[in-house]
Amino acid sequence: MAPPMPRDVWFAPDVDSHSWGQFVKTKAAILRARHTPWSVEEIELDPPKASEVLVKIIASGMCHSDEHLVTGDLAGATPEPPLIGGHEGAGIVLEVGPGVFSVAPGDHVVFGFVPACGRCPSCAGGHSNLCDMNTVTATGLQLSDGTSRHHSTSGEDLLLGIGALGTFAHHTVVHEASCIKIDKDLPLEKACLLGCGVVTGWGSAVYAADVQPGDTVAVVGVGGIGSNAVQGAKIAGARVVAAIDPIEFKREKAMEFGATHAYASIADALGAMGETTWDRGFDKVIMCCGVGDGDVLGEAFWLGGKRSKIVVTNIHPVGEASIAIPAVFLTVFEKQLIGSLFGSGNPRKDIPKLLELYTQGLLDLDGLVTKTYPIEGINEGYADMNAGKNIRGVLVFEHTD
Amino acid sequence: MKCRAAVLHGLGQQWQIEDITVDAPKAGELLVQWKVAGMCHSDEHFVTGDMVPPAEMLAAAGMPPFFPILGGHEGAGIVVEVGPGVMSVQPGDHVSASFIPSCGRCRFCSTGRQNLCDAGAGTMQNGMITDGTSRHFLGDEPLKLMAKLGTFSQYSTVAEASVIKVDDDLPLDVVALVSCGVATGWGSATNRADVRPGDTVVVVGIGGIGINAVQGAAMSGATRVIAVDPVEFKREKADEFGATHTFASMEEAMPAIAELTWGQMADKVIMTPGVLYGEMMRLGTAMAGKGGTIVVTAIAPITQTESSVNLFELAMWNKEIKGTIFGSLNPRSDIPKLLGLYREGQLKLDELITRRYTLDEINDGYQAMRNGENLRGVIMYD
Repeated sequence: MAPPMPRDVWFAPDVDSHSWGQFVKTKAAILRARHTPWSVEEIELDPPKASEVLVKIIASGMCHSDEHLVTGDLAGATPEPPLIGGHEGAGIVLEVGPGVFSVAPGDHVVFGFVPACGRCPSCAGGHSNLCDMNTVTATGLQLSDGTSRHHSTSGEDLLLGIGALGTFAHHTVVHEASCIKIDKDLPLEKACLLGCGVVTGWGSAVYAADVQPGDTVAVVGVGGIGSNAVQGAKIAGARVVAAIDPIEFKREKAMEFGATHAYASIADALGAMGETTWDRGFDKVIMCCGVGDGDVLGEAFWLGGKRSKIVVTNIHPVGEASIAIPAVFLTVFEKQLIGSLFGSGNPRKDIPKLLELYTQGLLDLDGLVTKTYPIEGINEGYADMNAGKNIRGVLVFEHTD
Repeated sequence: MKCRAAVLHGLGQQWQIEDITVDAPKAGELLVQWKVAGMCHSDEHFVTGDMVPPAEMLAAAGMPPFFPILGGHEGAGIVVEVGPGVMSVQPGDHVSASFIPSCGRCRFCSTGRQNLCDAGAGTMQNGMITDGTSRHFLGDEPLKLMAKLGTFSQYSTVAEASVIKVDDDLPLDVVALVSCGVATGWGSATNRADVRPGDTVVVVGIGGIGINAVQGAAMSGATRVIAVDPVEFKREKADEFGATHTFASMEEAMPAIAELTWGQMADKVIMTPGVLYGEMMRLGTAMAGKGGTIVVTAIAPITQTESSVNLFELAMWNKEIKGTIFGSLNPRSDIPKLLGLYREGQLKLDELITRRYTLDEINDGYQAMRNGENLRGVIMYD
């Protein structure tokens, strides 16, 4: 079923959409077909139109969500190839189109992988992670007017994989609603992580799970998301933060991020649960696996005690239609299954706030970056992620200008 | 049985060590041998009159005079004997005092607000919670207990609802602290103020309560925990318990908070001075920013009715002022939980005890508290 076309009346201000800016030739990593490697090619960018921004991208995290584009887990909710991947990025504004007032050339920005228009009922109610513009990102076209600014050298339109961003590139043109301005003295190769993984994980613990001092928390999967759920749970005062992951490297890193216990499997965690939770079961369970799985969720369900919150942050395949949970136990133990997107946070508030925690030494971003790669290293980066070698791999773009 | 106890006979007086008679427990009661009593400022509020209803008011209501009173409400001990029908403890058990009885049956207890238990209504009146008669006597005169407990005594007979069983391997001086000051302070921050990660929190007054509000705010992930106290010793202690900044007064703290927060001011302000005077609320509320919360934990003089809150600011900036008793925690679940956090090394308790005293030294202990020399002084019974 095709996603709805943008309602352009109030997404783009009513100004002449003629553009005065420069056309940019740049490099991007393109997915030409599912289950094929990313192809790094030269592309052409049109100048930004009304309400759009041209950004020179400094760095982009390699989130598993872009891998979901390759494997088709998000098929139907994301555009069909050919598309430019990447959504966790940060850079410097080069040029703004007419009607853009929130950022100016020279500003440093982090992209919110969900746009934040500030006007729809979701944004106005304090849930800009659910901004109405987000459905429009599924088209892969510009949020302002439903056309494309990104083209291959042979002239074909290149769609934008996630969030209408296309951060696996040296430059991109995006809607102003996706740009979150940050202080210029913050390192952009670290700040890019705030565009997705860090706030998603941290917020899953602090906001969605609402971890309280003294709580016992189980984090299932401690990769790029789970590592931040561990950090969030710890800072929120959890007494126990149990990291569950089959990969030893990830368990070790989780202990560095503040986990108090580490288990190789949910079964191991269940076995020790009487002791760790004083026979109450975990207060909060946060699902941060690489790929969400209904059976794994069904197993993790038993980690939660009475009135526990089980937060489903990881992406399940779009075609998965059932999860293995006996509903009677939702009732008798008053358990809650809570979906959470972008850590249930607000990009405009949480990106600056968490960067402030980083500068205060209260949030570890440096420890998240296992390895950096140039854009040409993107397939090596994803191979490393799939092999479990990275908490986060980051593309740091080597600009020659 | 006969034993020794600290009794207060009137306003402005010293605690007198007297021989008192303690009767055996009746149905629903138990006899406790107190091993540790905390010297909380609340008992001092009887000496100064802050917490004593005026004599005329009591007389007009047909109630007996306030004094004499057997003091002490923060304590830990060992159960000696239980009366008929007591199921939750048996002789030999270690218990924490609970200055709010927590009956478990009234509408407040049953909705998770055990700090507001209806059985606390008669807390400063004579007579047992169970049947209204007295078990404690000074000579022939029935003796009122502070909060139905009287921990400034070697022994007292209390209602079952007034004690909470704790693990017997925990040091009793640590248990005593949790029975009042620690929970009140910690709960004021983590629960009533609901400090969240990233918050800027101000704690005004760093005594036995405030130091635990500092600790609780730090544990809740506050980015800035700003401690305000005129006494240098208390500011040094605040640093040890998680404060990030300290100031000698609210006047000094105000401009610094504005600078630290780039004008946003504090998310949470917790008022825990030894005595809360109305004019302190002017700066107390001003230190909070838009949408901020001000928690009033400290005891104010009972007859004081004026408080200098700028109501225009309160409304226009959507601030809230919240009162709290016992940190709005539930004694029966939260006292054991805090002791569990201590056991796992996540809550500092040993470091709260500045000095230990015998019962005979109680007045020295309170003088040291007035001088600002102690975070907490405790009475150790042998």
